[in-house]
Amino acid sequence: MTARNWLRFVIRRHQLESEMDAELRFHMESYAADLLKSGIPEAEAQRRARLDFGNLELKKEDCRASLGLRLWDELRADLIYGARMLRQSPGFTAIAVLSLALGIGANTAIFTLANEVLYKTIAVPESDRLRVLNWVKHPHAKVGPAWGSFNPNKSGEMVGSPFPYPLYADLRKHLPVMEDLAAFKDVSRLTATADGTAESIDGELVSGNFYQALGAKVIAGRPITAQDDNPSATPVAVISDSYWSRRFGRSPEALGKPIKVNLVMVTIVGVNSPEFHGAKICCNPEIYLPVALQPSLVPNPTGSLIANPSFWWVCLIGRLKPNVSSEAAQVAAEAEFRRSLRATIPDKPVAEFPGLVLAAGNRGLDSQTPLFARPLYLLLAAAGLVLIIACVNLASLLLARGSSRQREIAVRLAMGAGRFRIFRQSLTESMLLAALGGMAGLLLGYASRNVLPALFEDSWRAGTLENQFDWKVFAFAIGITLATGLVFGIAPALRLKSANAGTVLKESRRMSRSASQSLFGKALVVIQIGLSVLILISAGLFVHSLTNLRSAPIGFNPQRLLLFEVDPARARYSGTERVAIFRQIEEKLMALPGVQSATLSSDPLLAQSLSNNCVHPTGKSEEARNNGSLTNNVGERFFETLEMPIVAGRGFNSRDNQHAPRVAVLNRSLAAKFFPNTSPLGKTVSFCEAGAPPMEVVGIAADAMYAQIDNEAPATLYLPYLQQEDANDVTFEVKTAASTESMAKLIRSAVASVDPDLPVLDIRTQLQQIDATLSQQRMFAALTSGFGFLALLLVAIGIYGIMAYNVSRRTNEIGIRMALGSQARSVLAMILREAWLLAVCGIAVGIAASLAVTRLLKSELFGIQPNDPLTYCAAALLLLLIALFAGALPARRAAAIDPCEALRHE
Amino acid sequence: MGKHLELLQGTLDMLILKAISLGPLHGYGILLRIQQISGNRLEIQQGSLYPALYRLEQQRWIASAWGESENKRKAKFYHLTATGKRRLQKESENWDRMADVIAGILRTLPEEL
Repeated sequence: MTARNWLRFVIRRHQLESEMDAELRFHMESYAADLLKSGIPEAEAQRRARLDFGNLELKKEDCRASLGLRLWDELRADLIYGARMLRQSPGFTAIAVLSLALGIGANTAIFTLANEVLYKTIAVPESDRLRVLNWVKHPHAKVGPAWGSFNPNKSGEMVGSPFPYPLYADLRKHLPVMEDLAAFKDVSRLTATADGTAESIDGELVSGNFYQALGAKVIAGRPITAQDDNPSATPVAVISDSYWSRRFGRSPEALGKPIKVNLVMVTIVGVNSPEFHGAKICCNPEIYLPVALQPSLVPNPTGSLIANPSFWWVCLIGRLKPNVSSEAAQVAAEAEFRRSLRATIPDKPVAEFPGLVLAAGNRGLDSQTPLFARPLYLLLAAAGLVLIIACVNLASLLLARGSSRQREIAVRLAMGAGRFRIFRQSLTESMLLAALGGMAGLLLGYASRNVLPALFEDSWRAGTLENQFDWKVFAFAIGITLATGLVFGIAPALRLKSANAGTVLKESRRMSRSASQSLFGKALVVIQIGLSVLILISAGLFVHSLTNLRSAPIGFNPQRLLLFEVDPARARYSGTERVAIFRQIEEKLMALPGVQSATLSSDPLLAQSLSNNCVHPTGKSEEARNNGSLTNNVGERFFETLEMPIVAGRGFNSRDNQHAPRVAVLNRSLAAKFFPNTSPLGKTVSFCEAGAPPMEVVGIAADAMYAQIDNEAPATLYLPYLQQEDANDVTFEVKTAASTESMAKLIRSAVASVDPDLPVLDIRTQLQQIDATLSQQRMFAALTSGFGFLALLLVAIGIYGIMAYNVSRRTNEIGIRMALGSQARSVLAMILREAWLLAVCGIAVGIAASLAVTRLLKSELFGIQPNDPLTYCAAALLLLLIALFAGALPARRAAAIDPCEALRHE
Repeated sequence: MGKHLELLQGTLDMLILKAISLGPLHGYGILLRIQQISGNRLEIQQGSLYPALYRLEQQRWIASAWGESENKRKAKFYHLTATGKRRLQKESENWDRMADVIAGILRTLPEEL
């Protein structure tokens, strides 16, 4: 039998039926005509023809079975019957579909996020053959100076992606295992001036072969080519689809338009496809420029990085040749890398050579996945728990319903229905419910697809993470829908199948049902309660941890503090000029109306940003060996603006400038570390570089948090920025009672009066900044609380369902009790006791599970232990209350039973 | 008229294939043809012919087309396909061998063992 034939029959069913009917009737009529010819009277001939042919409808049924249509017909009948049953109890159907929709929706939403963050591949053809080059720093290896990110791998060795450009140029020519090797570098905050308006955008420098090597397509114009990647070529740029939409309204006139990027005029020649977001996962660069533009576009104090053989900065990606294995490529690449190192950095000792590792490049350069993987898996697990609770909930409701349907099933069995048919019918009904819930869940997941990314992002920045609904999400939603249908449908279906027609029909309607049956139902409710306790406890821990973080002493006053950044182009300002321009802006800010105080620092506080330098008390260089100290170059009003108390000596003042003797302020921790048991005032500290001038300690500041909220403030050294030779981009802090909007306008005009080409970046309050660093904790707290609420709702439904069923089952028994003199109150107590017993068992299970599981959350928690007794008690109490409320309704119904009514009720 | 024989299990398919191998026939025609060549000695349940026909068509051993019957009525005619022809060949060979073996066994006398 072929599937195509079968499908044809299914679709053209009407034609098939009428043809079948015509054929069989032709047979009967021909037979009757022959009988008539042989002399049998007409009426008798007709009768004999019908008799000899057999039951026409049964034969048709056999024909249909021959065509394989029977299964289909039965399925259709089951579906229609199931739909009718669901319509008959709309309350049950609504609860079932709603709980499934919430469960499946939550899972779909989180999977969509995981799909985007963890599994999305770079949008170029055959991305599985892409490889990213990483160096590995063995114990004696030396890498640097460098510009880029390195992370420790599993065995603790540093792994990084930046390489010197000359090494890349050499390696590219000698790597036969790869089709080609491309270089790229992500550069954040380029100042782009188009049509007279300056804004800050992220960009990517790419080698001339980048587009060709990756197979990245442009949707308009042309990509960057090898001719463009040349210092003497006319500077060109390819822009991203989002920049094209946002800035140029997708106008074709954008092509050929000159724009100013960091003061370099470049011509737009192409637009990337909307799916392509560059070779580094995480960011969404909006402008792509030839790497040859580096010296003018992002100048480095050390000179051109293109020509510098020992400055490590460009990232490398290439495509393996089709028939080369990963192992062979690794061996060849490592050998070539060592040869290239010798060729391009001849004075580097071989012992200092780092190793080389080819990493999978199907996601591009990927440094964020390890950071997001754990929290996302935790959230997927929590969402999974909610779905399991929903399943268990439905299974117990269906079981209870199944018991009341046993008579119906028994009648059907008695009339000859096969047990497998009954099982299938029951499962079809569950699947129908699951499908309805799945559809609603998918809609819910789709509607909330952009809610989750919003929790990840900084509130003052436009979102870069856009969740896409793709086939994987659909497949996932369909998969979990089918799985849930099976999970909650199979136990009730098995139970129905094993119903015994004889005994059930003989039994009275309300008394039957074995004890084991309701025990199974109760076990399901206990499991449900246990899982809910687990979710509630996790939610409690996360919420508690978040409040701890929010209320942790940070050592300064974050209220009414506005932050913003400026980053003057190095092409225009030298290091000392940058310091001077910061000084000018500082003065302008102080003069603004409504500004109480203004200052600046090289690193904003509580923004995951820090500077670490090797410092020691002058003359005691051995003190510096312990990993250096955190430093922050700050303005003279830093301590008063942030309300950070000076506990001894003085803060900085305007006399601490480049002409004055060098000074420093230590915080209390650093003072205790460098100068234990003595007063540090008047002593000096120095940077570790040879010949670095000593800096006199003039004051001690109270301890304050720096990059993040922690249990203890880190040892920190504050230096006046005026006394530093160079300053990178800095953050200004403005203390003001005025609103952010009105102050932002004033700040922009103040900065523009110093340099109109200088964009003001990321205006936000210090409180927003702190919130942003807590985004992950906030997401955990918000989502687990949401899941906890869902779980509570489901548990309430579950307890109510099982208790209501028990009460209706025991109507007769309760009637007898009351007839024998039992009081309404004692009946009430009896039913409530049952609900409480369930809750207590469930809570015990849940607490045991939580003690085992919440240890995994330890690293995500701040200021609270995973086995915090208060949280456990609160969760238990909450569930007891829910059990009480959910059990109260059926209990009151039981207490209101009229004994006469109940006994007559048979 | 001799006593009707009950059809052996699984032989109806073979008979249908044989009947239409001699020329296209409609369902009733197949019944008549089998009765005719068997000399009316086989008992065939008229109604069970059709499920068998549908199954054989589904297996692509036979194919059907609507045509006109002897008495000028619309009727569905079945004919043998190429795979059906091969099938019939194989089935008859199998049947011959099987019949030989069974006959041999049944003819065996006690002293030959």
